Amino acid sequence: MVGGYVKNAIQNETSHYQLHHPNFVEDKDVKFNIDNPAAVLAKVSETKSVKAATLRTVVNGMVRSSRGARGITIRGIDPAQESLVTGFDSKLIEGKYFTEGRKNEIIISQKIAEKLKLKLRKKVVLQFQDLNKDIVAGAFRIVGIYKTGNTIFDESMVAVKRMDLNELMAKEGIAHEVAVLLDKKEDLVPTGNALKVSFPNLLVENYREISPETQLYESQIDISATIFTTIFMLALIFGIINTMLMAVLERNRELGMLMAVGMNKGKVFTMIVLETLLLGIIAAPIGLFLGWATIQYFGGQGIDLGAFSASMEQFGLSTKIYTELSTKYYWSLAISVLITALLGSLYPAWKAIGLRPVEAIRKI
Amino acid sequence: MTVIKASNLTKTYNPDKIPVRALRGVDLAIEKGEFTAIVGPSGSGKTTLLNIIGGLDRPTAGEVEVGGKDISQLSDNQLIDFRKDNIGFVFQSYNLIPVLTAKENVEFVMVLQNRPKAERDKRAESLLTAVGIAEKMDKRPSELSGGQQQRVAVARALASKPAFILADEPTANLDSESTAGLLDMMATMNKEENITFVFSTHDQRVIDRARRVVTLVDGKIVSDERR
Repeated sequence: MVGGYVKNAIQNETSHYQLHHPNFVEDKDVKFNIDNPAAVLAKVSETKSVKAATLRTVVNGMVRSSRGARGITIRGIDPAQESLVTGFDSKLIEGKYFTEGRKNEIIISQKIAEKLKLKLRKKVVLQFQDLNKDIVAGAFRIVGIYKTGNTIFDESMVAVKRMDLNELMAKEGIAHEVAVLLDKKEDLVPTGNALKVSFPNLLVENYREISPETQLYESQIDISATIFTTIFMLALIFGIINTMLMAVLERNRELGMLMAVGMNKGKVFTMIVLETLLLGIIAAPIGLFLGWATIQYFGGQGIDLGAFSASMEQFGLSTKIYTELSTKYYWSLAISVLITALLGSLYPAWKAIGLRPVEAIRKI
Repeated sequence: MTVIKASNLTKTYNPDKIPVRALRGVDLAIEKGEFTAIVGPSGSGKTTLLNIIGGLDRPTAGEVEVGGKDISQLSDNQLIDFRKDNIGFVFQSYNLIPVLTAKENVEFVMVLQNRPKAERDKRAESLLTAVGIAEKMDKRPSELSGGQQQRVAVARALASKPAFILADEPTANLDSESTAGLLDMMATMNKEENITFVFSTHDQRVIDRARRVVTLVDGKIVSDERR
């Protein structure tokens, strides 16, 4: 769930990196735009490990309909590049994506459509302050309605073509933001370093810097994985102790005989410990495989938590959870199981060597 | 040569609550090659005596020497090691390891003694042949009859080349034919290889075959008859 939140945040809101004019983040004034954005985009796209990048014009303004108005962020996008970076076109639930050659098209969220009682083909007016501080407005026809599953994001963003927005701004080619998607999250830091060197005059931020709550969620993945693993191992250790105690109990006579014929306590202790470890060595791969298979299945199919959709979307959580588990967790689980088996075997082994052969061999 | 020497053996159970005096000052010496039956009614102390001279239990008072060594002062682990190398056991309920074959059961004690595999193989096969079930050596205990299992138990007891074999009611769970076959085999081994056998029994068929009968009543030896 948390992983899904982070993934959605990267995909819909922050991408892996964003480049801005140094003052734009603090003060979203349209005058703080990027110099020569096309060249910046070209250079970013050439950077190793960058999968895709896109320019955006970002303006805070108002969207008005005949039924109401609300403040929103207007994102002027290059449709083709935007879909490569965010997959925005895949978020449409009604209508269609931007059509090449058509002007003044707008895609709004389902949330905004509900609040302003809007439907496809209806017109809205976007109003904002341009570079000259004049209030400008433009009419846009709704061609698509999107939904990301993050209510907070959906309620605040509408998308238009960047060239349409720039025309209203009376400055062709302007851009406030470069959004960057990487091939692998592991390249985050080295790519950031490279971008900062290439663009010393721009503010280069990764998703953790743009959205500290995302970083918090991300760190929680490891913490909660550790907590869950600890809880599972505690339950497992009791299960192992119970199983092996039963094994010792049922084999009292056999253990007594073994000690009677000459198996010393050290060997009996070692035997119980090794039996438990062997159980763990056999069971752990089977369990890990079943877990992997389940994760792979639900990673593709997803687990639908639609019953809780309203509350989850409020927190930016997707209603469909796609399971995933990185390789390091499989290794740590395997090692944890073996350590737990070892620890769980100690008490039953101690009980076994406490048996008195003369009594044990007479047990029925 | 004296194999076992028990001096003034006393064993009291539950000394702090309701004491039960199982043995009251027993003196017993067993020589090499004896075929001895310790007999007596239930509760006479014969199993207790066997357990003490076998090192499975400790006396409350008195001494036990096996092969000249006082085993009553050994620690638990020392006793286990001593039993492994010096004493063979045959139990009433066979007590074979169910997941091992007959041959593996016989080899087991030799594994504990760290004998090489070739020696273990050879001795196990030889002993199983001697007890008359060589053809069953690859069978598990569940595939053997009671008599056959007890023969495997005897072979296992002999595997470590012990000073003597202690057999606690070895025929109690056997039918007549199996009992006769087992006793014949043990008597033959005693006669031909001079293996010392000490039985705890109240099976008359065993008593009849014994060359020495020690009778216990209420923890004391009341008679010691050599035939």
